[in-house]
Amino acid sequence: MLSAGDYQAIWLTLKLASLTTLLLMIIAPPLAWWLARSQTKIRPLIESLVALPLVLPPTVLGFYLLIAFSPEHFLGEWWLSFNDTSLAFSFTGLVIASVIYSLPFVVQPLQSAFVHLDKSYLEVSATLGYGKYERLYKIIFPMLLPSFIIAGALGFAHTIGEFGVVLMIGGNIPGETQVLSILLFDHVESLQYSAAHQLSFILLAFSTSLLVVIYGFLQKRQQRVLNA
Amino acid sequence: MLKFNIQKSFKGQDKHSKDLHFKGEVDLSGVCTIFGDSGAGKTTLLRCLIGLESCTGNITFQGQQWLGSNSNNKIHKLAVEDRNIGVVFQEPRLFPHLNVQQNLELAVRKAKNSTFTIHHLAEKLGFSDLLSHQTTQLSGGQKQRIAIARALLTNPALLVMDEPLSSLDVTSKRLLLPFLKQVSEQIPILYITHSEHELFYLSKQMLLVNNGQVEAIGEPQKLFLDSHLSLIKFAQQGLILTVLVKEYDQQEALIKGCLDGQTLYVSAEQAPTTSQIQVKINSRDVIIALQPIEGSSLLNCLSAQIVDFSQDNQKAVVLTLQVESQSIYAYITLRSFNKLNLAIGSHVYAHVKTMSIIN
Repeated sequence: MLSAGDYQAIWLTLKLASLTTLLLMIIAPPLAWWLARSQTKIRPLIESLVALPLVLPPTVLGFYLLIAFSPEHFLGEWWLSFNDTSLAFSFTGLVIASVIYSLPFVVQPLQSAFVHLDKSYLEVSATLGYGKYERLYKIIFPMLLPSFIIAGALGFAHTIGEFGVVLMIGGNIPGETQVLSILLFDHVESLQYSAAHQLSFILLAFSTSLLVVIYGFLQKRQQRVLNA
Repeated sequence: MLKFNIQKSFKGQDKHSKDLHFKGEVDLSGVCTIFGDSGAGKTTLLRCLIGLESCTGNITFQGQQWLGSNSNNKIHKLAVEDRNIGVVFQEPRLFPHLNVQQNLELAVRKAKNSTFTIHHLAEKLGFSDLLSHQTTQLSGGQKQRIAIARALLTNPALLVMDEPLSSLDVTSKRLLLPFLKQVSEQIPILYITHSEHELFYLSKQMLLVNNGQVEAIGEPQKLFLDSHLSLIKFAQQGLILTVLVKEYDQQEALIKGCLDGQTLYVSAEQAPTTSQIQVKINSRDVIIALQPIEGSSLLNCLSAQIVDFSQDNQKAVVLTLQVESQSIYAYITLRSFNKLNLAIGSHVYAHVKTMSIIN
């Protein structure tokens, strides 16, 4: 059965993924809206930066973050000016890295929904008396709710699955930075195959069921609304 | 009163920019129909008035400034949501994630002391049994009836409609036209249409749009007779008359009507439901004679006076005939015109071969 260390890693992973998803659901919607609507020349540049984690080896991102977090650099120095410990090898550091790393997985489904959203629904909302922001959260958000759930779920799942970035900046501190994927790697390295099997199966089952819900149900539901 | 003086320029693809300049004053009682060719700018004018399209200039509605500059010379634009306009677009635009009831409730939630209720409108427009349906399951006619109810539920000070009936079946139109006429007694309506039937049935006031400008505002009957307007070629194809129903003969399927004292027979499959009908007389279906024609199959002979005529380049003459207080156009050849020695003021008999009821 699962050991105390396994449970600790599972708890830490869920905590990391939840916090990351929460932050992403605040940052991503306005960013995706802007990317879907803006005509400015810097839009492709921003869009590329957001998409970068999709193609970049996670270790590259992790390496640059590790350097940025070190006290010799601006970000690390600024952090240390009001904190006792460094960002590197800390849970907070992991959260920051996860937000950057999972950003495209949350932005892209939202951006796609916003692009396909017929502008006429915004016009109707205005003529019904709904103001600029009111029409977004009272009408458009419920309309695109499946896309918001898909975006959140993908961000959550992707954060659970990250390995390279965590390895570079998090190390392997139980209860602080030792997440599931790292612990799994540990188990394999120390030839504890049955423990590795258990963790792998949990991750596999979780990811599969999530994707089935997304593609089998949520996406269809959203398309029915967008194609109406 | 709705007063506007607005400009808008479009940058076309071939570097030709198109400038629109609409200026006018519309009396807000009943239906004011916006009429004109496709591409004349009707929808753009309407969208500018609603505030969905950016433009420059002035718009005032019943003393309230919608667009203009304030005392500091700064541009003031009242937001769409604050103009209190009910809008029905050409397509229903119902929200696809909500059912019918929820769609209507969205409008009610924002309305200030609504005069209409969902229940009342659903009954009146015949969709009471659809309230729990998803909007994606409905037909075009059903959706548009719900869209009209939604616009009314916002309790608007002005109802604006862009060809709301153009894609609907005859049954829906037959239900909606009298309903809209009734609504217009409470709420003024600005109404775009291509259909002269709807124009003559609904409105006492017409705004003619041509080539990005307001060409004329006035009564439809008057504008259709004005030879200076761009409308004239279209109008001369046939005019619409109002006829009082006297009786209906079921066996002969014929309505006996009265046109300001003169008798008129109109064939109709069913007895008319209203005391007045509107008939269209095509100018090419009118035969002119100096005496009533005896011994023919013609049923209708109207005593008329020529008040105007114009010659078109096909060697044909269009006569404007005054029949009591109403007018009809008649198309005859130049040869007939000369042979009969016709002139302004001549008294003639207009025989009408066929005519169609339009409501």
